[in-house]
Amino acid sequence: MAGILGVYLFDNRWNAFNFGVFGLMALQHRGQETAGLELFGDARQKVSGNGLVEQVISSKNAFGHVALGAVSPYPAEDAEIQPLAVNDRASVCIDGKITSVEGYQWDSAITYEGNLRKAYSAVSGNGGSIQSIKEFFRRCRGGFSYIAVNDRKEMVAGRGTLGVKPLVLGKMGFDGGIVASESCVMDIIGERVPISPAENLEPGEARVFTPLSAHAEVEGTGGPRAYCAFEYVYLARPDSYINDVPVYRVRREIGKRLAEEGNIDADVVIGVPETAIPFAMAYSNETGIPVEKGFELTGRRVRSAMKPNQLERLKGVQLKLNVISEAVRGKRVVLIDDSVVRGNTLANIVYLMKEKGAKEIHVRIGSPAIVSHCPFGVEVPEEDELIGKHLPEEKIAEVIGADTFRYLSIDGLIEAIGLNGGGLCLGCFNSKYPEV
Amino acid sequence: MKVLLIGGGGREHAIANALRRSPKEPRICCLSDLLNPGINRVVKESGGEYFLGNINDPATVLGAANKAGVDFVFVGPEEPNFHGVPDRLEEAGIRAIGANRKVAELEMSKASMRDLQWKYKMPGRLWYKKFKTFEEAAPYIEEFAESVALKPARQAGGKGVKVIEDFQVYLQDDKRKVKKEHAESIVKDYMKDYDDIDYKLLIEERVWGPEYTVQCFTDGRTVTPMPAVQDNKHAFDGDLGLETGGMGSISCGMNLKWVIDSDEAIISDYEYKKSAEIVKMMIDAIQKETGARYHGIAAGQMMLTSVWGPTVIEMYSRLGDPEAGNVLSVLKSDLVEICEAIIDERLNAIKIDFDERAIVVKAVCPEGYPDKRDIARGHPVRVNGPEEGILWASADETSNGIVTGGSRVVECVGEGATLPEASARAEEMVSRVELTDGWRLFHRSDIGSSKSISRRIQLANMARDIYQYRERKGLLGKRMIWVPGKGLTEVG
Repeated sequence: MAGILGVYLFDNRWNAFNFGVFGLMALQHRGQETAGLELFGDARQKVSGNGLVEQVISSKNAFGHVALGAVSPYPAEDAEIQPLAVNDRASVCIDGKITSVEGYQWDSAITYEGNLRKAYSAVSGNGGSIQSIKEFFRRCRGGFSYIAVNDRKEMVAGRGTLGVKPLVLGKMGFDGGIVASESCVMDIIGERVPISPAENLEPGEARVFTPLSAHAEVEGTGGPRAYCAFEYVYLARPDSYINDVPVYRVRREIGKRLAEEGNIDADVVIGVPETAIPFAMAYSNETGIPVEKGFELTGRRVRSAMKPNQLERLKGVQLKLNVISEAVRGKRVVLIDDSVVRGNTLANIVYLMKEKGAKEIHVRIGSPAIVSHCPFGVEVPEEDELIGKHLPEEKIAEVIGADTFRYLSIDGLIEAIGLNGGGLCLGCFNSKYPEV
Repeated sequence: MKVLLIGGGGREHAIANALRRSPKEPRICCLSDLLNPGINRVVKESGGEYFLGNINDPATVLGAANKAGVDFVFVGPEEPNFHGVPDRLEEAGIRAIGANRKVAELEMSKASMRDLQWKYKMPGRLWYKKFKTFEEAAPYIEEFAESVALKPARQAGGKGVKVIEDFQVYLQDDKRKVKKEHAESIVKDYMKDYDDIDYKLLIEERVWGPEYTVQCFTDGRTVTPMPAVQDNKHAFDGDLGLETGGMGSISCGMNLKWVIDSDEAIISDYEYKKSAEIVKMMIDAIQKETGARYHGIAAGQMMLTSVWGPTVIEMYSRLGDPEAGNVLSVLKSDLVEICEAIIDERLNAIKIDFDERAIVVKAVCPEGYPDKRDIARGHPVRVNGPEEGILWASADETSNGIVTGGSRVVECVGEGATLPEASARAEEMVSRVELTDGWRLFHRSDIGSSKSISRRIQLANMARDIYQYRERKGLLGKRMIWVPGKGLTEVG
């Protein structure tokens, strides 16, 4: 998982650096451990490190009219931070995971990044042309989107044929194009167009930018699709469109369906910030139970679920979620969260809320039980850690100290997303993954 | 009957075809700098003569007209108008369809055009500021300019315009830097060859909305509008990339319908009529100011904006290219008769009819266009199969075959009952155009597609909602600025 960005400005009077910085900030929710930005001008300059975009990149500078960048949720050594140099001519950013490369034998003794470099060299003969980069990604299998730039300042961006990971195209007047994981980037650094700001790339589609042209290559599109359902539940920003579907609409629909599927008599609805807030608002709308702000944040907003270890996750939750006692004291609370992975942080929240005087707590989860490890790089831990795989709802309620506990049904999620059911990857909920 | 056509692009090929359709069977002659293969064929078939020469030199044009002994001259592009070609012809007693130097000011000086709009308080006028030097403009850009269009103050072949949306304050430093650098290059590079105008740089407020062109025949008294056409200026698919002279254009009915006779259109009947009225106001005003007569074509390059509704972006003193391919394909009346009516100032006495068909024109360009024309030039080009519907544009018929001239090489004109149908026809023609040395061609596959039309209708609806609100409140064209500590300023 990552947030990836390519800024292509035709006129070399532009410096794409700040567009890169603010574009990556708009993708920060997709990864808060590493940030990297490479500028292609007279020279190639890469700024990267472990930390947030603001900490790692903002204070630096670099120059070039083409920028390539990424944020990711895995701490890494500097040379392995995206943009990843596949050789001395080309750099790539990948969201998702490449699971194999046609014509290359995966070497389990070396790192994922090491394998990508070796595979690239095996497939492309170590070239850096747009054709060889495209050919490499055409042979990649898995669930991924990518953006690559070479030393001739040519850029190619595309989605794997399954379309697991999103990718959109936006523009900046007559001056250039922007490719990014999510459409919210266009609101932040692109041209403000009063209709949907970005064009969705089709699975299998590639976009090529050269100093002389910009065009789509659609060979390989039209196969079976497997759009990641978890993007809608948690990963994407609510102001983005994923596969042309507004994320906020899906989150409202999820809240509505939670109310239908697991309605319960209560005094107040509270969403766990930030992701579950729209769920709670829609749940409240549907049931008439008032929605309240239940928590106040201390320090910087972090995506606690994506923190790499348990201590960091709990630290994140406790700082993020100080319970406002007045909102819950003596009340029957419907507490809504987006998903449950291990259950520890949720148990902590329920504990804090009971401590502040909540009379009853009915937990409702805006997604089905997570039962499987994602092969495409979404941060789902190994299966023995997943509470939803091992315990039924009633048991989970007891473990976390809630009065009742209900997931959203898989059908409910499919309906909320509304892509007519077909073409979704629901593997983390039903263990069925698309064939790669 | 004999006619001399000035200019050798796709527009002129469309004009040549339309003249050729006349029952008066005119012999068609042409003067241009390259030998356009399409026009050359029309010239030969009609028994005319092809002259090569500088179309901007009045003496050369007059020489060709005299040699051929023509009944009238039809000036295609704008530059001959700016160089006084129609004036010189009229002096010599040769009638011309073409804006004379004085009235062509509407197009030639973008600064004068705005001055005129404000002087006569015409609707659809944008806020602007003009500069003679870069030094004058620099502090202004530094302090005030936000979202703006930077333009050469003179029409410079459609080149040099940059639109910069400067709304995100965190990107302001980068945008101001580019604005200043571009303003400087307008003054020092784009305008360096033009000494026929005092002002060099124009800074206008940036507006958004769907663009369209309303082209009109005029004899100075009557203004007869043609169907509205929508051009596509971005070089690449999805409205991406560099500004070009126009990559293709769509039209259907008078007001950019989607399907013949449907109610679904990009602009409304009312907006179309209002746009034509604005063009008429422009013609009236420039005639009043200069005392000259307007004989030829005037066009408003319009945008439906949230500020005004129909808004003038620029004026043309000729047919648009590729827009000419749209309107002349659906012109049912005799173009020669129209020209004669213009010359005799009796345009009010004839009826000009257009049919309702959807027309999609797609320009095909060698890679390198628009900014690196030297590498786009000189490639051998071939059209496989029938050439019906294909307009030759920047192409030169040499002894070694036809080669690219560096700009749009052909324009493919598709027609149908719906825009997507017309687009598919044009695509079929595009697929038969080839550079035989293997150099890449490109075109816009999205022009006329359902997706592109629905986006434009959506965009028009957004702009319409806002301008109609302003109209209801009596705020059309008004801009109010509250400066804390200084009070309220109203512009407009």
